[in-house]
Amino acid sequence: MNGIPLVHFLYLAAILFGVGMFGVLARKNAISVLMGIELMLNAVNINYLAFARYWNWNSLTGPVFVVFVITIAAAEAAVALAIIISIYRHLRTANVDDAHYLRG
Amino acid sequence: MENMIFYIIAGVTVAASLLALTVRNLFHCALFLAMAMFGISGVFLFLNSDFLASVQVLIYVGAVTVIIIFGISLTRNMMDEKSKAMNGQLLFSVVVALILGGIIIAAIQESPFVGSEHPVSLALSNTVMPAGGADYSQHFQNGVSYLAGALLKPENGFAFAFEFVSILLLSALVGAIVIARKDPS
Repeated sequence: MNGIPLVHFLYLAAILFGVGMFGVLARKNAISVLMGIELMLNAVNINYLAFARYWNWNSLTGPVFVVFVITIAAAEAAVALAIIISIYRHLRTANVDDAHYLRG
Repeated sequence: MENMIFYIIAGVTVAASLLALTVRNLFHCALFLAMAMFGISGVFLFLNSDFLASVQVLIYVGAVTVIIIFGISLTRNMMDEKSKAMNGQLLFSVVVALILGGIIIAAIQESPFVGSEHPVSLALSNTVMPAGGADYSQHFQNGVSYLAGALLKPENGFAFAFEFVSILLLSALVGAIVIARKDPS
């Protein structure tokens, strides 16, 4: 616990956020895009906890926000998978490139 | 020694997340995502958050990964051999992700957080009262009850948001069932 600088947690979170962003942009399957979003949310959670422990230690706002982010991420995963299954039932595909009915 | 464990966990997490988003087989992607979530829960332990680390394992490894595997199983023609994992924007995505990560890391290096080497909690003993009147000095020995107090006591201001997010979770689950249900027609 001692000796790890705060910035190393922030670097880890930044790297994970970049990897998640890459997944959201580059993957073809909608479920992989969802995985990228989950990874980005977890990077934000690491940032919240790191700042709560190192920077503003007598406030519990950071852990409380982590609880909220985890809850909303779970709800978002459930709704996103329901949408993906519905799209798959209509279009017989789960590729985000193929679902372009609204492209105009 | 402890620092080495942290860097090993961080390296495993980054490697697992990279593999989870580049491997072509979607089942392997989900398993690597579970591994990355395990690593993130280890990072939470290094941040003195034992309860949130266990919640991370329960929800992400236990629930979200299983839900994702169910989703993969239900949308299964993506697993055939010739379909590519990436869309046509691979180079663009790599460039955008590298630029974004580089900007964030450069901003961190310019920030005042570089100087904060040690967590403030190490300098605390239980007799020291923190500023602001709130007695969170034993927070690190007994984190769960303080977290519950912060969430549920009305004077802390998060009680309404806590109840509201439970309604949000319930409505999202009901909405997911409604969306994924077969049309009766």
